[in-house]
Amino acid sequence: MKARLMRSEDLAMLVNAIRRRGYEVVAPFCNKGRDTYYDTVTDENIGRVRLHVPNPYYPPKRFVLPPIEGLLRVKRANGTYDLQATYEAPKRAIFGIRSCDVAGIYHLDRFYLGREFPDTYYARRRRELLLVNVVCTNAELDISDACFCVCTDTGPAARDHFDLQLMDLGAGELLAVAGTLAGEALFEEPLFTKAAQEHVERRRQILSEVRKRFKTTTCWFSATVRYVSQGSVPEKTWEEIGNRCLECGGCTYVCPACTCFTVSDRPAGRDEIERVRIWDSCALGGFTRMAGGHNPRKSVHDRRNRRFFRKLAHYFIQRELSMACVGCGRCAAVCHGDVGMPSVVEMIRRAAALEEKIEPVPADGR
Amino acid sequence: MDANGKITVAAEGRGVLPETVPGPAENVYLPKLAVLVRVQDEIAEVKTFYWHFVDEAEQGKFRAFRPGQFAQVSLFGVGEFPASLPPSPTEDELFFTVRNVGSCTAALHALKPGEVFGVRGPYGNGFPMEQYHGRNLVFVAGGIGLIPLRSCIVYAMAHRERYGRLQVFYGARTPSDLMYVRDLKAWEESAGLECHVTVDRPADGWKGNVGVVGSLLKKPGINVAVANSTAFVCGPPVMFRFAIKDLLQLGFAERDIVSTLERYMKCGVGKCGHCCIGVAYVCVDGPVFTYEQIKKLGEDI
Ligand SMILES: Cc1cc2nc3c(=O)[nH]c(=O)nc-3n(C[C@H](O)[C@H](O)[C@H](O)COP(=O)(O)OP(=O)(O)OC[C@H]3O[C@@H](n4cnc5c(N)ncnc54)[C@H](O)[C@@H]3O)c2cc1C
Ligand code: SF4
Ligand code: SF4
Ligand code: FES
Repeated sequence: MKARLMRSEDLAMLVNAIRRRGYEVVAPFCNKGRDTYYDTVTDENIGRVRLHVPNPYYPPKRFVLPPIEGLLRVKRANGTYDLQATYEAPKRAIFGIRSCDVAGIYHLDRFYLGREFPDTYYARRRRELLLVNVVCTNAELDISDACFCVCTDTGPAARDHFDLQLMDLGAGELLAVAGTLAGEALFEEPLFTKAAQEHVERRRQILSEVRKRFKTTTCWFSATVRYVSQGSVPEKTWEEIGNRCLECGGCTYVCPACTCFTVSDRPAGRDEIERVRIWDSCALGGFTRMAGGHNPRKSVHDRRNRRFFRKLAHYFIQRELSMACVGCGRCAAVCHGDVGMPSVVEMIRRAAALEEKIEPVPADGR
Repeated sequence: MDANGKITVAAEGRGVLPETVPGPAENVYLPKLAVLVRVQDEIAEVKTFYWHFVDEAEQGKFRAFRPGQFAQVSLFGVGEFPASLPPSPTEDELFFTVRNVGSCTAALHALKPGEVFGVRGPYGNGFPMEQYHGRNLVFVAGGIGLIPLRSCIVYAMAHRERYGRLQVFYGARTPSDLMYVRDLKAWEESAGLECHVTVDRPADGWKGNVGVVGSLLKKPGINVAVANSTAFVCGPPVMFRFAIKDLLQLGFAERDIVSTLERYMKCGVGKCGHCCIGVAYVCVDGPVFTYEQIKKLGEDI
């Protein structure tokens, strides 16, 4: 990968260079404190674009998978129907996307574009998307108590799947790394200068320092994947997790790697309807309810179980060659019942380890 | 990606996206228009709907479906629902047999011949009919569970020479709950297949068997083919559990019992997540599973 140097004060110039290339640029903005959100960069707000901001709770997933997305418009005329697929694929750049969310989009790529039926709506949006990743280096602003990307191996610096990556080297310098030709093309801008070995070295130093600033570093992720895949999680642990879930669905809506949707037809004018897909949540009661009222996943812990099983079972990780949890910690931050991913991992590990307890072998080997 | 929107491979050689992304022709969510031809009453609330695609070319493509597959049926403005394909690909006409239970199925029931709706598919794995060559096929169905099995039965009859003995065991609550009575009659009269029908509660004039479908399997005079056989089980959950028990008792191996699972489905193509059960997406990994697989899914059915 090619690397270049730029000055932090030229951040707005870079954003404008991307805008000049025809992209709508969205970036995380900070209102007050932890109150951050993705918004479109305009001439008016460009001065407020920052490198270090807490990752917005509402994930950038919506730029490839909107909460409500039109699929078709169906017009009724002369006893038949005219079907029109509704595509929307603006040329868009996400500026300042965190590494966990880059992995989230990669997971969506694997899921929506993989297997037998690639999703053309997703593909069209994705094709027009440019990802400018920012490495989380600021322990106060970038990294929250719930962040555990070091456990899921997705951050704080993405290794792949971005177009351009920026990292703060301190002293007013940023190291830019191109991940794709589209990212590399930005190096034509005069704001970039040559980087030296010394900068790459500094990048490494900073990263090894930053890794020590995480609160949630020992969440036993891989052990939990093993316990879940083996089916060695005691039923009462799933129940315990389920009992704490309030079924608000919040965890799924903030998750950058959750994929489920429902489909609905709605009126869209005279003799015209629109078929839309809408984010859905396996935590909600109606998710698996079938005609006639039979619901195979009746109790809440069955559903709760579902979300973590889907994310942690080795079968799915292998199937998609990526994991449906990217360690962003959002579900932990929004959960009323403290059953976000890190605490679930901890609960499972503790219970399964107790279950698996091996009798100590006497010292003399008898 | 480059200026033409084509996805390029990351510098390290690992791809960001597949080289080519699907174009508009491959929109898997786009239904094809279909016309309702005629409607046949089956039992209370259940009707068979004969239809064909508006576009002849679509009809040709679709006809290559396998027994056990399903389609997504669109009633525009109401929604979409999954329905099995009860016809065999060896038959001329396409049809669905649907019970009126909710909004979409009611909208289909309200359609009149000549009216237009949407179909996409076929989806799902279907029964691997080639794998059963040379084997005996034992069909055990309860109630409307005969809908997905009908395709298999007719297919096996059409390729009679490829299979060993063919046996159908079918049960319904009352005589008026028996599905596909014209087919049942033909099957009972056919030399190529043994067809045994039973009802839980007889009505006036019923001269046939009485009792649950499992009782047929043990009935004196009936000799269920067990060695070198595959059993197909479809029906309501209670019937399913008992029939499986009976078949295991008779000596069927778990991998030689196959069934179709039914889940709430929204997309049919492995994306919406609704049909997921344990490690399987029923719409793409199923709906056909062996009993051995069903037990290993990691979640109760
Ligand atoms: C692979 C497969 C094959 C099938 N084949 C056939 C077939 O050949 N013939 C056949 O008759 N059926 C078949 N079914 C079942 C059929 O798909 C359902 O009966 C159908 O989806 C019902 O749709 P509906 O819109 O009519 O009912 P709905 O209106 O969706 O629901 C009916 C009932 O379920 C409740 N309900 C369902 N979902 C929800 C929810 N999310 N929230 C709240 N309430 C809910 C409703 O309150 C209502 O009481 C098949 C199913 C599958 C998965
Ligand atoms: S499961 Fe939780 S921590 Fe993992 S990616 Fe989703 S929101 Fe983030
Ligand atoms: S999880 Fe890691 S990459 Fe994501 S915001 Fe936190 S520190 Fe950054
Ligand atoms: S029906 Fe949507 S994933 Fe199976």
